[in-house]
Amino acid sequence: MKKQKRTGLIAAAAVMFAAQGALSQGFLLPLWQRNYGTAQQTVTSGLAPDQLLFALAGFRELVAQLMWVRADSFFDTGNYDAVLPIIRIVTLLDPKQIDVYATGMWHIAYNFTDEESRSDRRYIPSALALGAEGARQNPQTYELFFETGWLWYHRIDDNYENAVRWWEEAQKRKDILPARQNILGMAYQRNGQIQEGLDLYFAQLRRAEEAMRKQNDFGASQQRDTVENNIDTMLVRMGQRGWFGRQQGLTNPPVPYDTDPPFNVGFSAQVAVIDARILRVRATWNVRPVGTRIRMILRDADYPNVQPGGLKWDASDAVSLDPPRDRTFMQDQLFVRNRRVERRIDMSRDPTMYPFISDKYVIEFYYNPRSAPPHIQDKFGWNGEGMTDPNFLNTEVRPGQRVVFASLELTREQLLRLGEWRNKTPIVQTENFRGDERFRRDMETIQIPGLRTERPANESPIAPVR
Amino acid sequence: MRAIFSIAKTTVGEAVRRKVLLVILLIGLLFVVIAPSLTVLTARQERSTLVGLTLGVLMLTSALIAIVLTVYMIPNEIERRTIYTILCKPVQRYQFLLGKYFGAVAALGMMIGFMSLVMVITFVVFQREQRISEIAPLLKVPLMTFFQTALLAAMAIMFSTFVTPLVNFFLSAGLYFVGTLFNPLFQTMVENPASSPATKALGRVFHIVLPNFANFNVQNPVINPGQEIVNEGLYFAGTIGYAFLYSGIMLGIAVLIFDRREV
Repeated sequence: MKKQKRTGLIAAAAVMFAAQGALSQGFLLPLWQRNYGTAQQTVTSGLAPDQLLFALAGFRELVAQLMWVRADSFFDTGNYDAVLPIIRIVTLLDPKQIDVYATGMWHIAYNFTDEESRSDRRYIPSALALGAEGARQNPQTYELFFETGWLWYHRIDDNYENAVRWWEEAQKRKDILPARQNILGMAYQRNGQIQEGLDLYFAQLRRAEEAMRKQNDFGASQQRDTVENNIDTMLVRMGQRGWFGRQQGLTNPPVPYDTDPPFNVGFSAQVAVIDARILRVRATWNVRPVGTRIRMILRDADYPNVQPGGLKWDASDAVSLDPPRDRTFMQDQLFVRNRRVERRIDMSRDPTMYPFISDKYVIEFYYNPRSAPPHIQDKFGWNGEGMTDPNFLNTEVRPGQRVVFASLELTREQLLRLGEWRNKTPIVQTENFRGDERFRRDMETIQIPGLRTERPANESPIAPVR
Repeated sequence: MRAIFSIAKTTVGEAVRRKVLLVILLIGLLFVVIAPSLTVLTARQERSTLVGLTLGVLMLTSALIAIVLTVYMIPNEIERRTIYTILCKPVQRYQFLLGKYFGAVAALGMMIGFMSLVMVITFVVFQREQRISEIAPLLKVPLMTFFQTALLAAMAIMFSTFVTPLVNFFLSAGLYFVGTLFNPLFQTMVENPASSPATKALGRVFHIVLPNFANFNVQNPVINPGQEIVNEGLYFAGTIGYAFLYSGIMLGIAVLIFDRREV
C-alpha cells in the first residue's frame, strides 16, 4: 500500500474514532441510561462467581430470570429464608421485574412468622423500602404504588394517610384497573377523609357509566354496580354516624346520631408472665358484638423509631434482609369475646424472633376505631367520636383521632423469669383492672347478641359500662 | 469489489462447514427450544422468564460464534498457506481481509437469523403469540445482537493480524465482557459520590477508547414490557452508526497491520 493511502487510512480512522467518541458520549450513553439502564448498584455479593461474571457482562436479565426460577422452587419447598436474598439480588440485577418486587414485598411482610403465626414485624420496614424502590424504578405502572399502599392499608393497618398517599400516586397511572381504584375510597374513609371518599366514588361512577356506554360487558356493569353499592352504603353510614349533621353544625339533632353519646369501652388489662417468655394477657372491653381486636405490642423500651401503637415504619429507605436480630418486637391482636380478652402468648419457641436482650420492655395496648369493622364503626364513628374511656382515651398519639392507648412495663428478668422471679409470677396491670366475674366464665362460649337475644329493653347491643 | 465478494462467499461456505460452529449453534438452539418448559411461574413472569432466557442464550451464543469464527480466520489461511493461492492472484491484501470480514458477518447474520427464526417459532407454538405486535419487539434484540457481533468480529479480525488464535480468543472475549459492562459500570461510577474526579476521568477515557458493546443491550424493555422508551428509532440508528464507525476503525487498523505483515 502506498504511503499516501496509508496516511489517508490513518486520517480516516482518526476521524471515525473522534466521531464514535462523540456519538457514544454525547448521544448514546444518556439515552441508554434513560431507556435500558437496569440498576443503580453493581451487585457484587450473593452471586456465585459464574453468575457474577454473567451478570456483569450484560446478561443481568438472564441471571435474574434464572435466579427467579430457582427462587420458585424454594417457595414450593417452604424454604423462605433462601428466597429472601434471591429477591434482593434479582431486583438489583433487573429492577424492571415488577412481579419480583411485588412478590418480594408480600413475602417479606407476611411470610416470616413465629410458631403461633404472628408475623415478624421487624421485616416490615424492609418490605416498605423494597416497595418504594420498586415504585421509583418502575414509575410508569401503578402496580408497585398499589402494592406499597396495600402494605400500609392491610399489613400495618394504621397510619392510613400513607395508604392514601401511595394509592393516590397509583391512581395517577393510566394502567390502573377500575376495581383497584375503588379501594382508595376505603382508605379515604379510614383516614378520616370522608368527603374525599364520597367524591372518589362519584367520580368512579361517572367513569363506570362512561365505560358501559363504550362497551356494555359484564366487567363494566359489575364495576358500576359495585360503585353504586359503595355510594349507597357510604351515604347511609354518613347519615347514621352524624357526618352530614356535624358538617352543618347540627349539634343537637332531633334523632340522636348512632355515635351519640360516646360509648365507654371500659378498657383494663393485666399481663402475667406465667413462664419464661410466656404471657397470659387479660383485658376488659365493654363491647359485646364480636369483631374487636385490640393491638398489643411487646417491644424493647429503647426500640428505634417507635411511635405509640407501632413504629415509624418507613423511617429508613434501606432494604435490609437482616432484621435487627438483637431487638424484640412482638405484635398481636387480642380478640375480644364476651367483653373480655384472655390470651396466652408463647414466645419461648422462637428465640431468634424474640431474643429479649434489652433490660427493659414496654407493653402497649392500642385500639384505633379507624381499623374497626363497619358494624363497630357504626357506633364509634370513623375517628372514634362515638367512643370514650375514662382512663385510656387518647387524642394525642394520633392527632385528630380518639384512640385507646395504654402501656405497661416489664423487665428482662421478669420476662425470662430470672433472679427473684424464678418462683414468683410477675404480674403487671392497669390500675383499674379488676379480676371480675368475666374471667370466671366459660371462655369458649361466644355470646353474640341479636334481635332475639333477651336483654333489658333499655340495653343496646353494645353493652353499657358496669 | 468483485474480489471481496468472492472471498466473502467462500468464507461463508467455510463457516457453514465448520463443525465447532455448528455445535455451538445447536446448543444455542437447544436452549431456545427447551426454555418454554420453564412454565412454573405466574403468567406474566413465565413470559418474561422465557423471553429473558431465550434472548440471553441468543446473545451469548452469537458472541461465542463470532469469536470462534473470526479468531482462526486469518491465522489458518497463513498456517495452511492457502493465502498464497489467493494473494498471487490480482487480489490486494486489504481486499482479502475485507472479504474475510464480510464473509464472517454474513455467516453470523445467517446463524443469528436462524436462531431468531427458531425463537419466533417457539413463541408462536408454545406461547401462542401469533400477533405481529407481540413478536416484532422480540426481533429488536437479534437485530442489535447482529451489529454487536459484527463489531466483535471486526475487533477479533484486527487482533488476528498480529496475535495467535488462543491469545486472540481470550483478548476478544475479555474485551467483549468488559465492553458489555461499560455502561452500567460507568453509570455507577458517575453516580457514586465517593468516586474522585480522577477516577471518573479515567473511566470516561476507557469508555471512549474501548469498544462499547453495552450500547447494543436493548433487551430490558422487551423482557419487561410497558416501560416508557424515548427516541428508540433514533437510538437504534445511532447504535448501528456506532457499530459502523468502530468496525471501520478496527478494519482500518487491521488493513494497516496486515499490509506490512510477513506471510
